[in-house]
Amino acid sequence: MPKVFLAGLWSENPVFRLLLGMCPTLAVTTGARPALTMGVSVIFVLLCSNIMVSLMRNLLRPHLRILMFALTISTFVTIVDLFLKAYQPEMSGVLGPYVPLIIVNCIIIGRAEACASRNSVFTSIVDALGMGFGFTVALVVLASVREILSHGTVFGLEILPLFKSGGWFHGWAMMAMPAGAFITLGLLLGLVNVISRHQEK
Amino acid sequence: MLNKIQYFFRQSWLLIVATFFYALLVVVVNSGLSSQIEANRINKLNNLMKGLITQAEVFEKVIEELEVTDSHGRAVETAVFKALDSEGKLQGFAFIASGTGFADKIELVVALDGRCEHFLGYAVLSSNETPGFGDRIKNDYYRSQFSGAPVGILKLVKTGGAGSVDEEIVAISGATVSSRSVVEIINDFTKEVKRAITREGLSI
Repeated sequence: MPKVFLAGLWSENPVFRLLLGMCPTLAVTTGARPALTMGVSVIFVLLCSNIMVSLMRNLLRPHLRILMFALTISTFVTIVDLFLKAYQPEMSGVLGPYVPLIIVNCIIIGRAEACASRNSVFTSIVDALGMGFGFTVALVVLASVREILSHGTVFGLEILPLFKSGGWFHGWAMMAMPAGAFITLGLLLGLVNVISRHQEK
Repeated sequence: MLNKIQYFFRQSWLLIVATFFYALLVVVVNSGLSSQIEANRINKLNNLMKGLITQAEVFEKVIEELEVTDSHGRAVETAVFKALDSEGKLQGFAFIASGTGFADKIELVVALDGRCEHFLGYAVLSSNETPGFGDRIKNDYYRSQFSGAPVGILKLVKTGGAGSVDEEIVAISGATVSSRSVVEIINDFTKEVKRAITREGLSI
């Protein structure tokens, strides 16, 4: 069981190994706080949808399973959206349409198909937590790099003093833009590959 | 025929049961959170109105349920607020204007001066326009064109001086539909709101 959990964090990390969920990965990682909020939202949806799909796995008709997955996922995404609007309205505004877009995040429907529909509830829960935390860690790492290099901050806390505030650091505006997202993701993917090859040796 | 109906239910009973269960779940969560969501919306509205009419301390609702017919023939209701400073002097008016954008409904908070002759500006209350394109209706670059613009019929143009204060609003490059939606929404609502304010004798 620890293997299932750890797989989501490293060997089968949805962002760095499986390259799933690229749309929110690139879009919401302009800051560490929105990235963390998105990650927690995905963990909730993944957990609830995996549990529900696992509970009804023996009753699913093969030709209707995708429809059932989509119905289940969209319900929990709606619930997450309502919670964010109620208790984190600022983050809900920042994340905007990317919260409803969790419905079409391949990680969630992929895990429903690959794991929850074939395994027990406990295994599905562990898998959801592993994949969800793996996604969240990847997003927060990516967002932290982009936020530090573009604004000199992480989670709003100053790390590098900006030139316009009397410091020495000139923020790289490109890091806050899509080009910066692609470049940072590419470099992190390369780093993960290097570490993996080193571990295999 | 009966066999077909039986086959249909044997295949899809889980889908039907799940639909009802999930719908009930969403209804329960929504009913529990709707009051908090509405309170957040009112808070956001007050903050946006204060941002547009900076000298205002108090906002009083002076016209409730004003019906406005937009350019597509749809009837929408809005409310009009008057903005008063700490001495009770009228600083302007604010109202919510809404309409169809490129992706979804756009809701704006629009502010007029006390004489209803010039716009003080607008802020976006809610929208789901394309990030990086139509979403730029929230940016100061586009919004600043409305500050000081004459109340009348604003015109959307493709090119021009975005810095000049007149009835011509330069569209956002790559977001003509969203830009046009904002201008149309403001034109449709301002016409009716100004008429209602004048009828009630509320302006300076």
